[in-house]
Amino acid sequence: MVRGLCIYFVGLLGMGALASQSADAAALHPPPSVQAGQAFVIQTEGSGEGTFYLLGPGSAMKRTVQLGSDVSIAADEVTTAGRYQAIICAANDCTHTAFDVVSGPPARVSFFLHPSRVPVSTPNVIDGTAFVFDRYYNPVLHPAKVDFQIAPVSGAPFSRVDESERGVAWVRLGSSGKEGPLRVTADIGSAKEPRVIQQVAAEACHLRVKATPGKRGVVFETDPVRDCSGNPLPDGTIVSFTKVDASGMTTVDTPIKKGIALTELPVKGNARVTVACGVVLGNELSVAGNR
Amino acid sequence: MTLRSRFLGTSLLVIVIALAARAQSLPQVSLNADNLSPRPIEQLTGTNITRNYSMAWHAMALALEQNRPDLLNDQFTGFAKDHLSQRIADQRRNGLRVQIIDKGHHVKALFYSLDGGAMQLLDDAQIEVQVFDGSRLIYSDDAPHRYLVLMTPGADRWYVRDLERAPDKER
Repeated sequence: MVRGLCIYFVGLLGMGALASQSADAAALHPPPSVQAGQAFVIQTEGSGEGTFYLLGPGSAMKRTVQLGSDVSIAADEVTTAGRYQAIICAANDCTHTAFDVVSGPPARVSFFLHPSRVPVSTPNVIDGTAFVFDRYYNPVLHPAKVDFQIAPVSGAPFSRVDESERGVAWVRLGSSGKEGPLRVTADIGSAKEPRVIQQVAAEACHLRVKATPGKRGVVFETDPVRDCSGNPLPDGTIVSFTKVDASGMTTVDTPIKKGIALTELPVKGNARVTVACGVVLGNELSVAGNR
Repeated sequence: MTLRSRFLGTSLLVIVIALAARAQSLPQVSLNADNLSPRPIEQLTGTNITRNYSMAWHAMALALEQNRPDLLNDQFTGFAKDHLSQRIADQRRNGLRVQIIDKGHHVKALFYSLDGGAMQLLDDAQIEVQVFDGSRLIYSDDAPHRYLVLMTPGADRWYVRDLERAPDKER
């Protein structure tokens, strides 16, 4: 509470000082707008010594200057874009003015591509977001063209162009029909950023199982498991065999190996066997255990 | 359940958080997510964004006043944290400090990436900024401020990744 009051009174006194600027107080004349990373000068008026402050989003400079002369601001002192306050204090008077440091031309791009794996032949499943920066990583707020170049593992590459809005451009894509890497590059002319995602087989298609006699029962084996575009499902994908016979219902989950899934089940009497992979149901077999 | 009803208030989402427990210290933030693209905002996300952005301003005000960059760690990341940390280091070296009297923020969500990994906001802030050199007030500003903000999600909160005063032409 006491501290708050102190700040309040100090503030009142300070504002009084600000309000009491005399007619010949020092004045500042910065350029109306400055590009990030470019040196410039701020003209001052008055005479004698003063203290100059330059407060920006990423810096707070203080130096003693000769009033009436130019204050030189080096390029590396204004690399962060945003609103800057130039303040000059002489004796009891302070005066200030504001100016903008704006981002330079597009020079860097950050690119996010999501997700890392997508099923083939799926519309609107790939999201890309590009952030456009100048060489000092200030967002480029004026519109900039971002060319999203898409290079599938097979087929002709193509591109989609979007114009950034307040430094952001985005694209939504569908996956192609062929599994394999998909390379998407965000290109702003002066810089490009590639990303690669993996297109994998989609759900199984035309899942079929066949039965052959085995040593301890019946061997159930699928045809090569592929999606509807003909891409083989990766090894390790689980295929479920479900058998219903006189002894009840039995389900066996088995991974695909070398493109097919197989299991051997004992069968008592007549049995019905179905096969499923993910959300896809395959054909149904009727088998007899004595055959 | 339709998409529209699932994301409550997608077409008109105005969340004003009365942060009960910490209302005395946290700035008030209202979030407007009308016409947000390319994806709508979920209600819980809107609530979290609002709370975290309010906490970020609270942390920034303390950090700039006490010249303590460590106070930024829980709410800021990336360029925003780098810039503010450098600013605080400069302030400390030059004997400066900043007092922010926060009167609230009207935030409009501009962009929410399809993967949910980034949200861009435009903040019309009502703040009073006072700059002190030692105990001397050298600058005071009570004008409206407009900020362009980029927030990204972390493990349990949204972080301010970029906080930039929008140029005059953005107003």
